[in-house]
Amino acid sequence: MIAGIDIGGTHTDAVLVDNGRIVAKSKIPTLHEDLVKTVQRSLTNLTEKKKAGGVTRITLSTTLATNALVEGALETAGVLVCSGPGIDPLKYSIGPAFHLVGGSVDHRGRETEPVDTRELDRAASECREKGVRVFACVAKFSPRNPAHELLLSRRLAPHADFITEGHRLSGMPGFGRRIATAYYNAAVWRLFNRFADAASSTAAALGIGPDIHILKADGGTMPLSESRILPVLSILSGPAASIMGIQALFPVNRDAVCIDIGGTTSDIFFLADGVPLFERGGIALDGRNTLVPSLFSKSIGVGGDSHVRMESGRVTVGPRRLGPAMATGDKAPTLTDALNVSGRAAYGDVSRSQGGIGLLAKQHGADPGRLADEAVSFAANAVAREVERLVAAINERPVYTVRELLHERRLVPERLLLMGGPADCLAKPLGAALGIEAGIPEHFDVANAIGAALTKPTRCIELFADTAIGIMSVPALGVRKAVPAGYTESDAERDAARLLLDRLKTQGVGLGGVEVETTYKSTFSMVEGFSTVGRNIRIRCQVKPGLLYDLVENKKE
Amino acid sequence: MICAARTTGIVFFPAFDWAISPTHPEREERLLYTYDQLAEEGIFDIDGITEAKPDVVGKEDIERVHFLFADFDRTVTPSHLVACGGAVKAARLVMEKRVEKGAALVRPPGHHAMKSVQGNRGFCAVNNEAVMLEWIRSHYGPIRTAIVDTDCHHGDGTQDIYWYDPDTLYISVHQDGRTLYPGSGFPDEKGGGRGIGKTVNIPLPPGTSEEGFLHALEHTILPILEDYKPDLVINSAGQDNHYTDPITNMRFTAQGYARLTELLNPDIVVLEGGYSIQDALPYVNLGIILALAGTDYSHVREPDYDPDSLREDGETREYIKAVCDTALREYFVPSVPLPEPGRFLEREKRIYYDTDCITEHQKESILACDSCPGVRIIKSRSSSRPLSIGVEIPMKGCERCREEGHRIAGESKKSGRYEKVLLIDRCPQG
Repeated sequence: MIAGIDIGGTHTDAVLVDNGRIVAKSKIPTLHEDLVKTVQRSLTNLTEKKKAGGVTRITLSTTLATNALVEGALETAGVLVCSGPGIDPLKYSIGPAFHLVGGSVDHRGRETEPVDTRELDRAASECREKGVRVFACVAKFSPRNPAHELLLSRRLAPHADFITEGHRLSGMPGFGRRIATAYYNAAVWRLFNRFADAASSTAAALGIGPDIHILKADGGTMPLSESRILPVLSILSGPAASIMGIQALFPVNRDAVCIDIGGTTSDIFFLADGVPLFERGGIALDGRNTLVPSLFSKSIGVGGDSHVRMESGRVTVGPRRLGPAMATGDKAPTLTDALNVSGRAAYGDVSRSQGGIGLLAKQHGADPGRLADEAVSFAANAVAREVERLVAAINERPVYTVRELLHERRLVPERLLLMGGPADCLAKPLGAALGIEAGIPEHFDVANAIGAALTKPTRCIELFADTAIGIMSVPALGVRKAVPAGYTESDAERDAARLLLDRLKTQGVGLGGVEVETTYKSTFSMVEGFSTVGRNIRIRCQVKPGLLYDLVENKKE
Repeated sequence: MICAARTTGIVFFPAFDWAISPTHPEREERLLYTYDQLAEEGIFDIDGITEAKPDVVGKEDIERVHFLFADFDRTVTPSHLVACGGAVKAARLVMEKRVEKGAALVRPPGHHAMKSVQGNRGFCAVNNEAVMLEWIRSHYGPIRTAIVDTDCHHGDGTQDIYWYDPDTLYISVHQDGRTLYPGSGFPDEKGGGRGIGKTVNIPLPPGTSEEGFLHALEHTILPILEDYKPDLVINSAGQDNHYTDPITNMRFTAQGYARLTELLNPDIVVLEGGYSIQDALPYVNLGIILALAGTDYSHVREPDYDPDSLREDGETREYIKAVCDTALREYFVPSVPLPEPGRFLEREKRIYYDTDCITEHQKESILACDSCPGVRIIKSRSSSRPLSIGVEIPMKGCERCREEGHRIAGESKKSGRYEKVLLIDRCPQG
């Protein structure tokens, strides 16, 4: 049996899946001050009638790190940065202990200025005086040559509990993103590890084996051991839980748009040939872009609790949220109340909804039924226009080869998948606004937990080889070694796959069903004067994301 | 998050799968390190800077500008249609007011492609800026435009296309033609017909650095722009004036290019040449984009940047001042009188297509007119093709010139003397 627990902002959902069947569900309020207790209660609920020992794997989708970052409840992390020429590095200043250190590496990974060790020592001792114990070391182009980050890290090590080296986060470019990501990782490290300790002892006390995974925003999981050094990868995993859940409950193999309609907002996702679309670059948190890989998801301020009002003679819904519906005792009418009045829903006390919408209609000399209908179609149209805008933006994503430009693959959603509280009653208006037929999976109330439970472990790595310099490196794995002049793209592809599988094996990830795929490869001849001096090879490969297995009961398409 | 003072749309299209030949300077690798630098700097994470995908222009967009006497499909590859399309996209973003500034970092370049195209010359087959500008004019009318060409090589193609056009001011600042391809671009080349004075050439001596370029900008280019008052300023931004460029002899820098962009303040920037792909382009492109977007570029410099070692000597400085004064004078007091209406002005040209090893013999004539720029006729034969003729009726063409253009094209067709008879009519009736 496997368990999935999605710790959300309001509720914590949990499911237990046995041989492709959902055998237990749990929904309890999230105790923000004690997430471990929330996990514990969810597990107890799930395993009431069964032996908890039969649970072989738990996946947690947790808001711990996200909340700490958004609320600023962070440990002071020292940030030491080697920049070199480019955008003013002070623009990326983050946290109360940000220090620039002289030193630079260029785009090919060649050192153009050595690290200024006097500046380094000065920064280190300032941090020490402030009692800083966790650090982020970041250098521009460190994925091409991590020497400067390694030097910073070595000098700090005697006085540090934990150090994040930028190149270990990702091989992707983005100096500012690397700084923010490394800082976040260091600043939530201690908090996250306390949670991890407590979660593993809770599981152990219930007799559950050690196989605990943490859900990531990219629609994959990581073993608890890895999350202890890369806690930042646990941020904003909620949308990934939803989209993986909907894939389990309603598998499609075409282009689709998925909308998770919540109270305050609705989240919009896309599937291309049934595979979730990724965010370019990485997720943004608290106004800063990061290198944390993520599925593409966008929020729009329309949900069940969105305020219905009149603005210059027109019905308007959202983006403001005033509280739950009048049907459940609140004072101002919401989209849920409009759904009640229009006869599409019968949620809570419908007569209170009628009262609220009726009053608003009376104030503006309108018919309550018509006003409710207009509110529903306003909401459906707002979501539909946003979906269209996103599709256009996705199809405008740049490509860099003539071949890709002339034979482009455009996203054209043919299926609409809905989940969340008001999904049933909004299916028709949303389907009409988008001109696509809507489908609603069963069990969508716990789709997030199902997604968490069934998601496979993933990992993505980048490999660079520069045969003119004679170096091959996989920054995220700390691999850097000499290669001969004859090293080719297929050598690189093979090495990348092998290194990735080796890493998973040492982390104790079972390799059954694990498939490695190359998602990007390119080779450039490097010419100096008029002769070829080497090859510049770039490979990105990943464990193919997906579900451990399909649910037995929900084969629809 | 870093914010741009001016919204800027960048069409970045490195054509990672296209080369003239494997070791040619115009090869797949050319913008690889620029891409790496821009991506690492997070240029597209700057609030206000957006990346856009190129349009792909069609045959009609090319034939609106050029007399394509060569075989179209063999000369104009899909990458040319994408490079022109990249420029058009940048222009479209600006014209539709979706951004304040546009930049097309595309390849291959285009500024050596002339009105008549018999093949590929100076790495160029079609003129990206001209295809873009005429696309703009066909959608937005005859917009008064200045093209400022800061590539190290004289933009003889752009000069040729706009030679007679009073609505297009072409200013080129480049390394002296006596020391570099294509060997033209002297102050006495200043346009013809009603376009007299609207071509300005500033040939700078080898070794010109920041001070010299900025002197040319501040003392010649900006005063001329001030007088001409264009509605649109396009910068053909070649980056081969850089001190590390392998095929030129100048000493310009990333800081200098950024400052030049800031002062010139063009609406649209289109990349031209620049072949120091590791040591110049990553920094120069970064500097140009930041400056265009009105963002701080003070930390953008080459790793070995040393302004003192690059500075011009006194003699070079004096020479530069003299050249700039001459160019300025030629603009304000063109020493050639306007042609007499009704007469044909004629030029004979021999053009060598170095990339394709073709020689073209050309006889060009323009019907001088006092109410429009006049009908332009090019008779062209090359070492690989027989005689053809191209007739262009300009935008704002008068009724008489329009009729004359159609008559010449019709008679040429009837005569059977020409392999191709091409007609560009920029003011069709109705």
